Amino acid sequence: MTGPAHETLVAIAKSWGLFYLIALSIGVLAYTFWPGNRKRFNRAKNSIMNDESGPWE
Amino acid sequence: MFKTHYKLERYSIGLAIGIIAVASIGGIVEIAPLFTIHQTVEKAPDMRVYTPLELAGRNIYIREGCYACHSQMIRTLRDEVERYGPYSLAAESQYDHPMLWGSKRTGPDLARVGGKYSDQWQTEHLNNPRDVVPESIMPAYPFLTRTELRIDDLPKHLATQKELGVPYTDEMVANAVGDAYGQAAPDSPQAEGVKARYGDATDIRAFDGNAATVTEMDALVAYLQILGRLTDAAHKQEVTGGIK
Amino acid sequence: MISTMTITERQIALLISVLVALCGIVLAAAGRHDPIGTHGLLILLAGLAGTFFILRGYYDPEPAPERLTSYFDDPIKVGIVISMIWALVAMSVGDWVAWQLAYPDLRFDGAWSSFGRLRPIHTTGIIFGFGGNALIATSFHIMQRTSRARMPDQLSPWFVLAGYNLFCVLAVTGYLIGITQSKEYAEPEWYADIWLVIVWVTYFVLYLRTLARRKEPHIYVSNWYFLAFILVVAMLHIVNNLALPISLGSSKSYSLFSGVQDAMVQWWYGHNAVAFFLTAGFLGMLYYYLPKRAARPIYSYRMSIIGFWGITFFYIWVGSHHLHYTALPQWVQTLGVTFSMMLLIPSWIAAANALLTLNGAWHKVRDDATLRFMTVAAVFYGLATFEGSFLAIRPVNSLSHYTDWTVAHVHAGTLGWNSMIVFGAFYYLVPQLWKRPRMYSPALVEVHFWLAIAGTFVYVFAMWNSGITQGLMWRTYNDSGTLAYSFVDSLIAMHPYYIARAFGGLLFLIGTAVGAYNIWMTMRTVPTVIGTQADRPVMPEPSRPILQAGE
Repeated sequence: MTGPAHETLVAIAKSWGLFYLIALSIGVLAYTFWPGNRKRFNRAKNSIMNDESGPWE
Repeated sequence: MFKTHYKLERYSIGLAIGIIAVASIGGIVEIAPLFTIHQTVEKAPDMRVYTPLELAGRNIYIREGCYACHSQMIRTLRDEVERYGPYSLAAESQYDHPMLWGSKRTGPDLARVGGKYSDQWQTEHLNNPRDVVPESIMPAYPFLTRTELRIDDLPKHLATQKELGVPYTDEMVANAVGDAYGQAAPDSPQAEGVKARYGDATDIRAFDGNAATVTEMDALVAYLQILGRLTDAAHKQEVTGGIK
Repeated sequence: MISTMTITERQIALLISVLVALCGIVLAAAGRHDPIGTHGLLILLAGLAGTFFILRGYYDPEPAPERLTSYFDDPIKVGIVISMIWALVAMSVGDWVAWQLAYPDLRFDGAWSSFGRLRPIHTTGIIFGFGGNALIATSFHIMQRTSRARMPDQLSPWFVLAGYNLFCVLAVTGYLIGITQSKEYAEPEWYADIWLVIVWVTYFVLYLRTLARRKEPHIYVSNWYFLAFILVVAMLHIVNNLALPISLGSSKSYSLFSGVQDAMVQWWYGHNAVAFFLTAGFLGMLYYYLPKRAARPIYSYRMSIIGFWGITFFYIWVGSHHLHYTALPQWVQTLGVTFSMMLLIPSWIAAANALLTLNGAWHKVRDDATLRFMTVAAVFYGLATFEGSFLAIRPVNSLSHYTDWTVAHVHAGTLGWNSMIVFGAFYYLVPQLWKRPRMYSPALVEVHFWLAIAGTFVYVFAMWNSGITQGLMWRTYNDSGTLAYSFVDSLIAMHPYYIARAFGGLLFLIGTAVGAYNIWMTMRTVPTVIGTQADRPVMPEPSRPILQAGE
């Protein structure tokens, strides 16, 4: 490989890494605070409190 | 019934794929450019590879877990450079599979310990560290002098390293056994071959004081004595470039 | 064990055992002039033991179909016992090498007993033996409960457990006879690494199959953490262990990577082993057992999701902070620091979420040592992650790196966080799984708790002091501008701290022994009190008088 390849790789790493980080944060926050998901999360957090009765058929 | 089942299954695989995607990016970004790093780091054209005996010594260093207490990486800090010598360059460990930079200094750094002490000191120190450094807490390794070094499989070691990109020649691989013996037996006919293949500056001595047999002590001391001396690049850098 | 399997499963298990034994024979023959031959014999023995074990129980009656109406808990029980055995062994070795640093001749005359060979036994035994078995056992428990589904078959959990422990045994016995590839926390050689990949893939498939059978629409967040643990550890393990053996009859291999690349790959692995082995899976435990024991749902489920993706994403970047001021390019070091700082956010989200769950239930923490174990774990998790981000800052790292401060930091995490959450989970699980009303001795749980706390504090404070002293002595200059202390000077200054550290470790070890005894006695002692929950046949009795009264 020639000289510029390393510089290019570093540049890509530095710029796209940042864009990726921002996009990912938006995605995660959207999923977490999506109003439609509220019910599902509430159910999940309470469902473990009573799960010793065995597998559901 | 089955339809929902598949849907659920897809769901958990989706989660798994998400995890892999999120968790692999950081590694790729940080590690991938390092494989092109040879384009940017300093060159060390004078650098030689480990002799078979030194490589065997390095494997004893690994086997005994020396890396758990000794680093081989001098950082670019004033006190480290003054205590241990010029800071370590990337080129210096370019042939180290694996690297032995270490993470802890229960004992001192060894990156440039080569030539700092005599063979006799090293041998006595390894036999029982407290004979020469009363305060030392290093374990004693008396069995190294008693144990004959295994050299018959050294060609395979060199061939494997060669395959991984270490510039061993076919001649070096073929003569690995004789070279290992010759380096620790200066009066033997094999000693000349070592110089021819690895350079005139190669240490050819009875490292443990006994030229009759090649012991693990010979190998380990030969390795310790070459640490930091495979190339002059770090010393040259100090004169021209100075400390970062 | 065998009686829990169907006939078909027994046949497959038998086949696997014979195959393992054959692999052992091949390795033993190919490596008869090499340490790998010893391991070949060990693998052969393991295969034969498995074969014998299965044949002995082969004609036992098949498990009844009613088994499908309950969770499959037998491997969990075995996992807990094995985990405690590893804890005792690895903590004993750890304390022994700690004393060796104070009194270097405290060893037997033999190559195997030096610090360099014993130290990886301690680290592997704790992380993979104690921690790994605890993770496998608790994940089997949690995945079934949160899915309301039984594991899909009876064989794969046993295979995962037995295969994983074969890996651990190969690892630690290898160090004793000088087999290691020197990569910290990834010391086992190529053949053990390949075996672990097989076991790990089975584990992952088992997990996915259990989740696929789930009756809950949503996958509870603990499972996310366990999945991240399994997947990312697989990725790390495979990449970091890429190596070329010198021959198939030799234990020795050479890493595919060298120098700077190898250093980066190793610490990418090393730090993410902390992240995904010692953090993700254990957070999975925390998010399940803490709410259960406190009988309060987690404070914020959303926080747990944000924390999850934050940890999964940020952690993977931070390994380079192990290589500050080295020959690693500076931009990679800077990335490592930046992400180490950001990592504090998801880490503290998790710690805060755990503590806020307890808000309003502090009286339970006061009265219940089991819940207190979990609470202290969350607190130490918060402290250790803060310290980790702090140590990643370049100037701080210039002082702390290579010193005992790192050791202090690691043990704040492993003693204060990992061990505490495991003990808390075990004290919750043991009475439940063995159907006892409570632990054999709640008083001994208290004793264990206080020994563990005292041991952790003594240990961590000793190492903080020695680490900072060391770091400062190495960089102190005298008036004439030369270094004031030789390395030996700093070594002498460490002596009292090393004794204190070994003493702290001893306290922790005694606590673990007390815990193991308590768990053992809980398993062995059938409660004599009639009418407790554990005494199932008596259960219908109370309803009878009521019926009579109504007549």
